[in-house]
Amino acid sequence: MDVDLALVLTTLARALAFSTPLLWAALGEIVVERAGVVNLGVEGMMILGALAGFVVAQSSGDPWLGLAAATAAGVAAAAVHGLLAVVLRANQYVSGLALTIFGLGLTGLIGRGWVGRPLRNPMEFVDLPLLASVPLLGPAFFQGQYVLSWLGLLAAVVLWFVLHHTRLGLVVRSVGENPAAADAAGVRVLWVRFLAVTFGGAMAGVAGGFLSLAYRPSWGQGMTNGLGWIALALAIFALWDPLRAIFAALLFGALFTLSFSLQEFFAPQLLTMMPYLFTILALAITAVRKGAGAFGAPEALGEPYARGRR
Amino acid sequence: MRRILMSLAALVALAFATAQDDPLKVAFIYVGPVGDYGFSYAHDLGRQATQEHFGDAIETVYVEDVPEPEVEAFIDQLVADGADVIFGTSFGYGDGILAAAQRYPDVIFGWGTGISRAPNVLTYMADFYQVYYLNGLIAAALSESGDLGYVAAFPIAEVKRHINGFTLGAREVNPDAEVAVRWLYNWFDPAGATEASEALMANGADVLAFTEDTPTVIQVAADRGYPGFSHYASMVEFAPDHVASGQLVHWDTIYIDILEKVLDGTYTTTNLEDVDYFWLLEQGAVELGSEPGVPVAEPFVDDLREVVIDHPEFGEIDVYELVLERRDQMAQGRDVFEPFMGPLEDRNGNLVYEDGYMPTLEDLLSMEFAVPGVVGPWDNEPQ
Repeated sequence: MDVDLALVLTTLARALAFSTPLLWAALGEIVVERAGVVNLGVEGMMILGALAGFVVAQSSGDPWLGLAAATAAGVAAAAVHGLLAVVLRANQYVSGLALTIFGLGLTGLIGRGWVGRPLRNPMEFVDLPLLASVPLLGPAFFQGQYVLSWLGLLAAVVLWFVLHHTRLGLVVRSVGENPAAADAAGVRVLWVRFLAVTFGGAMAGVAGGFLSLAYRPSWGQGMTNGLGWIALALAIFALWDPLRAIFAALLFGALFTLSFSLQEFFAPQLLTMMPYLFTILALAITAVRKGAGAFGAPEALGEPYARGRR
Repeated sequence: MRRILMSLAALVALAFATAQDDPLKVAFIYVGPVGDYGFSYAHDLGRQATQEHFGDAIETVYVEDVPEPEVEAFIDQLVADGADVIFGTSFGYGDGILAAAQRYPDVIFGWGTGISRAPNVLTYMADFYQVYYLNGLIAAALSESGDLGYVAAFPIAEVKRHINGFTLGAREVNPDAEVAVRWLYNWFDPAGATEASEALMANGADVLAFTEDTPTVIQVAADRGYPGFSHYASMVEFAPDHVASGQLVHWDTIYIDILEKVLDGTYTTTNLEDVDYFWLLEQGAVELGSEPGVPVAEPFVDDLREVVIDHPEFGEIDVYELVLERRDQMAQGRDVFEPFMGPLEDRNGNLVYEDGYMPTLEDLLSMEFAVPGVVGPWDNEPQ
């Protein structure tokens, strides 16, 4: 079969661009879930980030200032979840869902005056010096991309290193695997969990900011359009590993862009349902292999922690 | 005598005042936010122009962002607030409107883009297929490759009609032009519209048209330096140098006509069963333009003038002139020029309209075939 090289390169290039918000948000959720907390509010935090980023960037003319605002909005939203789900030990799933619904509603209301205008100074496509001229890899990943796409890849590597090779990472993982033991060892479980949740919010905020400042430089009500949910699926599909998240995100991105470029050959719905199918498969495999250890969800995922209680 | 005259004048003034105190209450229900710069925004521009036209004779209100399944509750509230006429702008409001119309037989309803009527429910639509045909003429002249791209929401008759019109126009200028179609299966999907546009351009398309509810396509095309078209309202702001033309709507022409006939008693709550507006260029309900009053954006006029073709009807003619000629012909009426006039074959070689056949409204509203030149998947295509 004649492989169309141009199609492969374009697919990879678009996969990177489309997967950028997924990767940022999923990396955040990986850290949150590694610390034992589920936050279903990713979509809500993302859309709050998207609006905050757009408003600040449009007012100031500086998209990077907008990104800072997007991050802050994500942190603020996540802090609410942290307070409810970690400190007050409310049901994590309900609190996260509420955050999503709240974020979509609030941004719809506040965002009204900002609809229908393009961002006057969006983040632009750039070529990464040196790497852009590498054959194949250059055109696939390093020409005409957004800076945030590369920073996302970098963030994944850094997070992987921190989670698996530093004391900080050990602390985060310990409160997700066995909070009682971590507590006994002197780790302040609630604080670690709370900070992990806000870190997840910051990452989701960046993801939202990427949408309104670079990928679709405008504000539209509901513009995240379900990407937050795909990011949640991605965190699970990557089995809570930041490095695997890179490949999972690129795979999801490639499937999405191929659902358009290969529309003549495949029903697009066939390709766009794949991410969810993969996630279900990953969950099934994880469940089956759980006994083997090493490979699976954090033991205390979704369980609120209170000293001396079970 | 003077006294009598004065009291007469006062009486007349009082009569006017009473008339003014009791204006016709007209309510509009929008499916999106009025700031969407698309469908609902265009309806609201129409509402404002209608209000201005009638002055104190009518009083308009609107509710925005009304989810389709919840429309009945909003109608209940509007009727309770005294609405005499209610326009629901979305296809998906149909069930709610028809049900509410039975409950409120004294209220006149208008179902925008609707398909079925009742004694107190009329339907109305401003259709773009003629304007898409004109955009097709322009797109083919601007394209270097002859490969045009089209991002489309759903494979329904309305959108198919748009794509077919666009393609017929393109092929009139360049008989080899092809229009590649990518479907979103969604009216609102900014990420999907982005990737669909990118996929089309990666495949060689150098002019993009669309039928969906965001300005994404022209923004993404402009990033790569390619032209696009406004949809519903001016989208020039989103890509200042890259909007060649577009399809604009003037809902007020329809609203004003309906309300005039309501005010003078032509339309009542018992005789709307057969009242269906399907308004086109002829009635001024739609307009060719990147923004109102600008049929082709300035930088593109010269590009179009440079493309001279040998036309079977007009002889040697540049495409700018051709666009204006065709627009003026269609403005005179469908019988002067109709893009879908028979003989017309579909892309599988079937003769869909016989030589000289003028497609009826029914034909247009149920169009399922694809004309030659359309490339890509096409659900429910007749074989």
